[in-house]
Amino acid sequence: MTASTVDGPIAGAVAEGTLPGRVWMYANYHCNIACVYCLTESGPRVAPRVLDAQAMLDVARQAAELGFTDLGVTGGEIFLRPEMPDLLAEISRHLPVIALTNATLFQRRLLDRIDVLAGLPVALQISLDRPDADANDAMRAPDNFAKVVAAIPELVARGISVRIATTVESIDDVELDRLCALHRGLGVPDEDHVIRPIVARGRAIDHGLGVGAVVTDLPAELTITADGAFWSPFGPTVHGGLLDTDLLITRTTAPLSVPAKALLRLVEGQPRGADSALNIR
Amino acid sequence: MRALAEDHSDLDHHSDLLVGPDQAPLLARPYYASGDPGPIVAALAQVPELLETAMPFLGAALGPSGIDWRTKEIVIVRTSALAGCRYCVQAHTVVALDAGLSLDEVRALRTDIAVADAFTDPRELALLDWVDVVAGSGPVTDDARAAVRRRWAGHEVVELTALVGATLLLNRFATALALPTGPDTTARLATEGLS
Repeated sequence: MTASTVDGPIAGAVAEGTLPGRVWMYANYHCNIACVYCLTESGPRVAPRVLDAQAMLDVARQAAELGFTDLGVTGGEIFLRPEMPDLLAEISRHLPVIALTNATLFQRRLLDRIDVLAGLPVALQISLDRPDADANDAMRAPDNFAKVVAAIPELVARGISVRIATTVESIDDVELDRLCALHRGLGVPDEDHVIRPIVARGRAIDHGLGVGAVVTDLPAELTITADGAFWSPFGPTVHGGLLDTDLLITRTTAPLSVPAKALLRLVEGQPRGADSALNIR
Repeated sequence: MRALAEDHSDLDHHSDLLVGPDQAPLLARPYYASGDPGPIVAALAQVPELLETAMPFLGAALGPSGIDWRTKEIVIVRTSALAGCRYCVQAHTVVALDAGLSLDEVRALRTDIAVADAFTDPRELALLDWVDVVAGSGPVTDDARAAVRRRWAGHEVVELTALVGATLLLNRFATALALPTGPDTTARLATEGLS
């Protein structure tokens, strides 16, 4: 099924550009590292809050049926889930996938299992913030830089599509040039390098980092988690161990049409609630 | 106020289940636009799709309709008193007074004094008998149904019975979640001697 063969309000809105085409899934919230700007306060000791495999497959299938065009999978560190390579392969049968990873777990055993993604429409988006290990690792974790620059060529050599995401408060031209030279040398071209700001949610707040973002600042990319559906992958953030609900759309995530239609209604500026004047308290 | 992310069992026993304005979900934000939406909305905001479905229903059932305000508050306060809902009795005692009920009438609805000592209108007395039956735990007899039908039209009986049911839903919701009575309500009750 392709978007051009799908009818319905979601497909129409995606085709018109009213609604972004990508649906995100938070596969889990736990992580082997604890970055200082992490939106979700992920780390080794947090609750995994796993979106189970069947739920992810259902989201992928229904997203295609509704007329979405792409999928994103994020966490937490998604490759802490042993089934993730096969799961990504499976969901990519429905729509192309971008999967976010810190790329620190790609030892031989995982690299062997990730071969299943070669040639599939799955891109691994790997975090790499600075061209120097000390500066990079200060924001992420010890040895992060070394593990990432070791993993990327291994993945590229296996025919896996790799993107680089740089998340920074600011970066000067010289440092950026060095970073770009680095990723080119690792086999990742400029068009697969994205630079994005730190958003002041989650752990970033505690470190005084990031830019404030309100709903109108964030693309309305439907984001499915174990706790509900959110406006954006920047929505289901955690601060002080508590889930933020300010960008929650619905707790209902299945069928996917429920949050998708609610999101479309919000995007079109037609939220219900005129009955709030009824003074039911 | 936010839902706990790491330990959902804690959430279940957390004393504060209400969503504050800083965490109001997108679909719930219209209900916060004029300030504190009250604890029923603040609790239902945890599940925005439920909130935006429930509120129109509750508004239709408890809000302005073809049945006058006084009559609806008679039903709401009486039902809430029989259900033992502290929050609803306190909140709607104030509303009932605003709707024109006397202090004695409210006391009677709250079971503080006998109904017959405050109400004399045969139609209202028939309604109160009906509310006591519907909101009670016993059977609803043909005689009880016939009695209310003699004083009230069929559509009125249907609407008022639905009102009892909607009130009971809120009674159990508010009681189970220990919803807090607002400071304005508490102050007004004190002023009226109805704390």
